[in-house]
Amino acid sequence: MGKPKARVNPEKCLGCGGCVAICPKDAILLLTNGYASVDEEKCISCYLCVRYCPIGAIEGE
Amino acid sequence: METMEYDVAIVGAGPAGCVTALYAAKEGLKVAILEKDKEVGIPVLCGEGISKKVDQLGIIERGKWIENEVIGARIFSPNGTIVKLSSEKAGGETGYVIDREVFDKELARLAIKEGAELFLRCEATGLIRRDGEIVGVEAALSGERIGIEAKVIVGADGVESRVGKWAGINTTLKSKDIVSCFEYTLSGIECNKDYCDFFVGKTLAPGGYIWVFPKSEDVANIGIGILASYSKPGLAKELLDRFIEKHKEYKKGKPIRILTGAAPVSEPVESVKENILLVGDAARHTDPLTGGGIMHALIGGRIAGETIAKSLNEGDLGILQEYEEGWKREFGKKLKRNYMMKEIASGFDDKTFDMLADSVKDINFEEFSTLGLVKALVTKHPSLLMKLKPLIGIR
Repeated sequence: MGKPKARVNPEKCLGCGGCVAICPKDAILLLTNGYASVDEEKCISCYLCVRYCPIGAIEGE
Repeated sequence: METMEYDVAIVGAGPAGCVTALYAAKEGLKVAILEKDKEVGIPVLCGEGISKKVDQLGIIERGKWIENEVIGARIFSPNGTIVKLSSEKAGGETGYVIDREVFDKELARLAIKEGAELFLRCEATGLIRRDGEIVGVEAALSGERIGIEAKVIVGADGVESRVGKWAGINTTLKSKDIVSCFEYTLSGIECNKDYCDFFVGKTLAPGGYIWVFPKSEDVANIGIGILASYSKPGLAKELLDRFIEKHKEYKKGKPIRILTGAAPVSEPVESVKENILLVGDAARHTDPLTGGGIMHALIGGRIAGETIAKSLNEGDLGILQEYEEGWKREFGKKLKRNYMMKEIASGFDDKTFDMLADSVKDINFEEFSTLGLVKALVTKHPSLLMKLKPLIGIR
């Protein structure tokens, strides 16, 4: 149980990396193919990245 | 795992990384630049405005990367009051509107010309440690694991920097210290080619601003940055679309490029730890007030490259500390002052911006001084003085 983990929509993400910089758990990586990806093991569902995203490409809440 | 040996391994081929490489290679060092993407300069993550002071640095010559030259900046307050600044006074972010793809590739060319080696599709994945010391970078080169052993490692890996974290430097940005950006290159618009325009206001762009940087009469980089602490999912795009919708000269345009971006607007982090250096956005050298980072990336990169060369040529890693002293001398005070200004200005409401614009709109900015600003405020809007009090006395 618990809150859902943050999920990046690779179809929307433009790879700016802001979510990587804001993540307090270092749970997000910018992949070489140009979009971000969340490590579910590390994600604490704080949703800072969800709120940060300029185009709403990360879901969670 | 294949292992290669270098003097310096630089993670990231943006302006800061390439300039560090250029100056380290110039002094005879063997330099590797690791770039995770398949092409230097792409994706662009930038408003593409830079000060003409770049010419005086002597790092990069004028060239095709300059798309337009403006005479100044116009700041529009929420009620439409315009404050005009000559480009010398506009925070160093205007003068040239540039093509970052071409600009970054030119810097990479210069670094390569001095002997630096560039690896594309090469993603740094961690540091190599031996007997408690950092001896290199682990990477995936087109998916193949490789090791790049180096005496000094430079994190030039941008806002999303991980090199610092691996070395134990806390580079995580708080919401109040990072800006969420969205931008279009709009074609088929009408704009004034002579000015870079900035639109401020808490409603329009909370904690940030909207910019219109003209590339020609009918093309501009139009974008928004909002402070992450005021952000909601997709808000930056929503606010920019609303702005464009309201301006008929922009509304008729069509995007030829869409970009997202992130700018650190924090205080700088520890930039040297053992044999690790951070440069550019990774070191949080971006101007916290404007979000502009290119000039500091170039200046800091050169100091880093020269310091690394001095350190390795003299065989004393202790010399690396001179890098931190060097960039602080060049722009440390400015970062400190503008961080304070950002902390204050990000709380301004629309009325405060209007009063501020009204106070300063007639100041001749060629003779701008803190005292002049204070005088104008006392005369026109004394209530603003309290808000700006923390800044007075800082130069």
